[in-house]
Amino acid sequence: MLLLEHDAKELTRTLGIPIPAGVFVDGSAFESLSLDDGDAWVVKAQVGVGGRGKAGGIGFASSAAEAIEFMRTHAGASIRGHKVAGFRVEQKVEFDREIYLSFMVDAAERGIRVMLSAQGGVDIEAHAHQEGAMLSAVAAADEVSLAAAAQGLLSAVPAELQSPLGDAVRRLATVFMQLDATLLEINPLFVLADGSWVAGDMKLAIDENALPRQPQLEQVVRSRPDAYRESNFKLEHDFDYVGIDAHGQVGLLTTGAGLSMMLIDEMLQAGRRPFNFCDVRTGQLRGSPARLIEVLQQFTRGADIAVVLVNVFAGITDLGEFAQLLLDALDAVPQIRVPVVARLIGNNFDTARKLIESSGRPVVVELDLDKALQKAIELSGVVA
Amino acid sequence: MSAPQKSMFQLDPRAKVLVQGATGRMGSRHTELMKRYGTNIVAGIAGASARRDTSDTPLFGHCAEAVAATGAEASVTLVPPMDVLRAVTEALQAGIKLIVSPSEGMPVRDALHAYAMVKEHGAFWVGPSTPGLAIPGRMKLGFIPDVSLKPGPLGVMSKSGTLSYETCFRLASRGVGQSAWVGVGGDPVKGLRFAELLPFFQQDASTRAVLVLGEIGGTEEEDLAAEMARLSFDKPVFVLLAGASAPEGVTMGHAGALIQGGRGTIQSKTSALRDAGAEVFTSIESLVEGVASRNV
Repeated sequence: MLLLEHDAKELTRTLGIPIPAGVFVDGSAFESLSLDDGDAWVVKAQVGVGGRGKAGGIGFASSAAEAIEFMRTHAGASIRGHKVAGFRVEQKVEFDREIYLSFMVDAAERGIRVMLSAQGGVDIEAHAHQEGAMLSAVAAADEVSLAAAAQGLLSAVPAELQSPLGDAVRRLATVFMQLDATLLEINPLFVLADGSWVAGDMKLAIDENALPRQPQLEQVVRSRPDAYRESNFKLEHDFDYVGIDAHGQVGLLTTGAGLSMMLIDEMLQAGRRPFNFCDVRTGQLRGSPARLIEVLQQFTRGADIAVVLVNVFAGITDLGEFAQLLLDALDAVPQIRVPVVARLIGNNFDTARKLIESSGRPVVVELDLDKALQKAIELSGVVA
Repeated sequence: MSAPQKSMFQLDPRAKVLVQGATGRMGSRHTELMKRYGTNIVAGIAGASARRDTSDTPLFGHCAEAVAATGAEASVTLVPPMDVLRAVTEALQAGIKLIVSPSEGMPVRDALHAYAMVKEHGAFWVGPSTPGLAIPGRMKLGFIPDVSLKPGPLGVMSKSGTLSYETCFRLASRGVGQSAWVGVGGDPVKGLRFAELLPFFQQDASTRAVLVLGEIGGTEEEDLAAEMARLSFDKPVFVLLAGASAPEGVTMGHAGALIQGGRGTIQSKTSALRDAGAEVFTSIESLVEGVASRNV
């Protein structure tokens, strides 16, 4: 997951990365911002997605009034489908050079790729296609190899950049490893007239699987329940849930990431709007309906949900047990009054069906996924 | 220790298998189910405190002991995600040459380290985050559901567990089974990638066509297309890709765009695979129809 720029900068600052001085401004509390007038400021919308600059998410201001004006026009907005979580207002940096430097997990090479360009900035992707503009190397996933690979790239940059960039690659390689990062991109990395450097913009993606050994990162994630909603959900409940469409018609209570994704694709092909993605992992329910209840509770926010589609392909899970958990969960969330189509397959299907049918609830049990999907598509098309 | 040698991935239905994490709720259950399916499980590994011998699988404290006593050649690591790297290391040091790691949630950094060691030892690693692999009717390492397994002509490789269960179940009920099934796993950094399995399916005489279940993200499908072209792969390849409508997730910034160069999307995967001669489908049912009607 990509951290907000503000969180990435403040966290890496504590680990020795120079950044411009700045503050986080909440998207609802910017009117009272005070700044030292006369200085130059950059106002940056905080959003967990790239391409922000080109989408107009960055403004310049020389007074608090100008900064407030920019924030007023961007508060509550979305950039490339992601809601603006707030703003970072930071001092504008007077620089000599803009450099591009990144470290990233390269899954195909099974290593860490280091990339460096002496011509950084927002047009880096265009520059990179020029011969020799982008230097690149792959290193093993340890600090020494990484720093050595980055150091190797430095031999191709102008002499006056050797010292600041040498310092930058050492520090950033350390931070990349320390934080279990999957991406650390500094673009631009400003080199100043005095030969020092500052991280102008920063993208830091972290490995959620490593959070158990990264308490600092976990704290950052927990500190922003809204900006990092999905990660917080996973920390809290230990399974994946992603809201897709607030006006979705079909609530999905499903297991398995790949199959759930495929169901969403097929539903959209049929012109229906899924409300969510989830992977409840029936193998890990351990006799408790808690996960099912949690998902049903999410559905109570979906005003347009017309049907709930349950899909469980159980290799091991006993369907009789699962059916009971589903009924318990429906009892626990009585606000769910729409019909439920439950596609179940696995051991003890007949027991599960009898249990559900004798409950008298509006739950249709299906063995065939395509029939269940068709049924859900039909039901979602008839909104009462 | 002999020098690591470059050998090809292969599957031996009678391979002697040990299970790391063979006790505990899931461990003992899956060990039993693998055995019942015909897998030649010769040993289990468990901590001293857990070594109450409740099954008929001999339990050992360490892989090296188990290998010395039983000659185990393969391992399934049924351990928590933060312990996978340690388990893989232990298995490799004991001389195990095929490791299957089902655990979900292994840190990427650990996967990179595990892969580097696997390579150094001339071994093969499947996973993490995989239901495992199987030779239908003979053996399975992991927990692919029996109901989806049926001997037949399809070589299956999949990033997703559930999507492969569903698709292969439907194909099996239409009479089309599998020659071998490898879940490569859903994580970006993994032991075996699609392209690396292609030579195995090419030389495997019982594989008459290949079924690929891919997903949005990464470049595995594009790399597979390139490998198909390189090998002049001449068996039919059927593909289903999940995630066409997935919302834009973690974008890897310019670095991602620069490395992947526009690859990773469903469109890029679809066109690369079609150009290489694969048939790419957009729904489970259309794939099942397409494959079943081809009489492979």
